[in-house]
Order: sequence, then C-alpha cells, then structure tokens
Amino acid sequence: MKKTDEQLAEQAKATFDASVDRLDAATLSRLNRGRQAALDEIGRRDRDWMRWMPAAGVAAAVVLAVFTMRGPAEVDVMTAPATDLEILLSEESIEMLEELEFYSWLDTEDLEGDGDLG
Amino acid sequence: MTADALVFAVSCTAKPTGARVLQKERQLGEFLAEVERRALRIAEIAVRDRDEALDLVQDAMIKLARNYGGRNSEEWPPLFYRILQNGVRDWHRRQAVRNRVMVWFQKAKPEDSDYDHIAAAPDPNGRAPDEELQNSEAMQDMELAVHELPVRQREAFMLRTFEGLDVAATAVAMGCSQGSVKTHYSRAVHTLRDKLGEHWQ
Repeated sequence: MKKTDEQLAEQAKATFDASVDRLDAATLSRLNRGRQAALDEIGRRDRDWMRWMPAAGVAAAVVLAVFTMRGPAEVDVMTAPATDLEILLSEESIEMLEELEFYSWLDTEDLEGDGDLG
Repeated sequence: MTADALVFAVSCTAKPTGARVLQKERQLGEFLAEVERRALRIAEIAVRDRDEALDLVQDAMIKLARNYGGRNSEEWPPLFYRILQNGVRDWHRRQAVRNRVMVWFQKAKPEDSDYDHIAAAPDPNGRAPDEELQNSEAMQDMELAVHELPVRQREAFMLRTFEGLDVAATAVAMGCSQGSVKTHYSRAVHTLRDKLGEHWQ
C-alpha cells in the first residue's frame, strides 16, 4: 500500500526532528554564539538611536528655558489660576485681601514716615 | 500650553525605552533559540555543508534583528525564513559561479559524496545504536531526496513540513502566492513518495 501524503510528511518530520535532536554540542555552541551576535545587533541599533537622547534632552531644555524666560513680564495676580489657588488655600491671604485698603494706607503712611525721617 | 503642562505631557507620553528594548531582546532571543536548530538543519539540507549552513543561519539571525527586531514577534517566523531562503539562493548562485570558474581553470571541485552525514550529526541522545543507525540512514535517504528537489519545491516542503509554517506564512517566506506554495508542496510530496518508495522509514 502506498503511503499517503500525510503519512509521508509525518514520517519525514519525525526523521527530521530526530536529526535536530542529534546536533552536537559544538554546533549548538556556534548557534548560541550566532544568536548572541544577533541580539547584540538589536541592542546596538537601539543604542545608536539612544545616543541622540542627551542632545534631544538639551534641545528640549533650551526650548523650555526660552518659553519660560519669554513669558509675560507682569502676571495678573487676580486672574492667574495658580495664584487663585494659593489665595483660596491660604487664610492669611484672604484676610489680607479683606483689609487691602488698610495695608495700602499703612504703606502710604510708612513712605511718608520714611520721608520724615530722611 | 504652559511650560509645566508641556513637561507633564512629555513625561506622560514618553515610553520606557530601556525596558522596551530589553523586552524585545528577550522575545527575540527566545524566538531564535526556538527556531535556530531546525533552521540550521533546513539550511544544511539545502547547501549540504554544516559550516556554510551555520554561517547562513547566523547571517539570517543578525539581519532579522537589525531590520525587523522591532516588528511584532508573530511576524518573525516568515521573515526569518525569507531571509534564510534568500541567503541559501545567493549561496547557490555564488557556488554556480565558483564552479564555472573552477571548470575554466580545470580544477575539480570535491565531490558531494565526501559529505559525511553521520559525522555531521553525531552526539546521540541516548538512543540504542541500531535505532540511531536506522534514523541516520532514514535521514540520509530523505535528506538526499529533499536536496534533489527543485529549489521551490524543496523550500515549500521544508518550510511546511519541517518548520510547520502554514500556507500563508510559507508564501511570505518564499515570496510567492499561496496557490504557488500549494502547487510546489504537492509536487514535492509526489516526487518524494516516488523516490523514497513504500518501504522508506
């Protein structure tokens, strides 16, 4: 009886697998070295890319510094969100705002007093 | 966008590059370790020289890592075998040119019969000597028969049968249509059945 295609393929596969299992230690060692060389290659490729990271970081820092330094010279205290938050969280600041007219008068008095002293 | 918001956005979108690279390396290492021995035997059957086969497999591994290391791991098997098959074809082309040059200078190339299959596959895995001999003889018969197949039939048969790639992946590896893979495979099996005969084991 002739073998079917499937039987032949199965038998060929089994024979092939047996030959794979019989590979000697020296050959396996060479395969291992080849694999390590390949893995070094992927690491090298990424290291090459990452070599530009410091330069990119410096460039980003410069851009951020320029943005920061060129920000608005006068910050509108009453509308800046961060300042609003600080005011809301600080009881002292609220008190100060409630008595803003008093502090303003006090400032004026101090200046006049300094003038008297001078 | 304020500077603080910009920094926050960058820090949120940046991927952990080092960890990703290590994970890819680990995945690729596992894939290569899983596939390398079968790939070596497939290349060896195609070129009938273990040292040349080792070089071809190493070259394929390096090219895969260099060019496709960042791809999804599911894509690696057909890509790897495509690189390997291209390497084998280039090797055969170089051999053909070399043989022509050798004939021109009347220098005979060593015969294929010098290839010692048993010496090429030593280190038995605890099998009985008679079983080992039987397997070696069966492998020699099959190896010779597969080697003598036309190139495309040999590629289709080895990738489908030995490596277990499906038709679609084999088509990618061979760079042809799925219909061609089926045709080449069918013809290969038919030829092998005729060559190896009913009593091959």
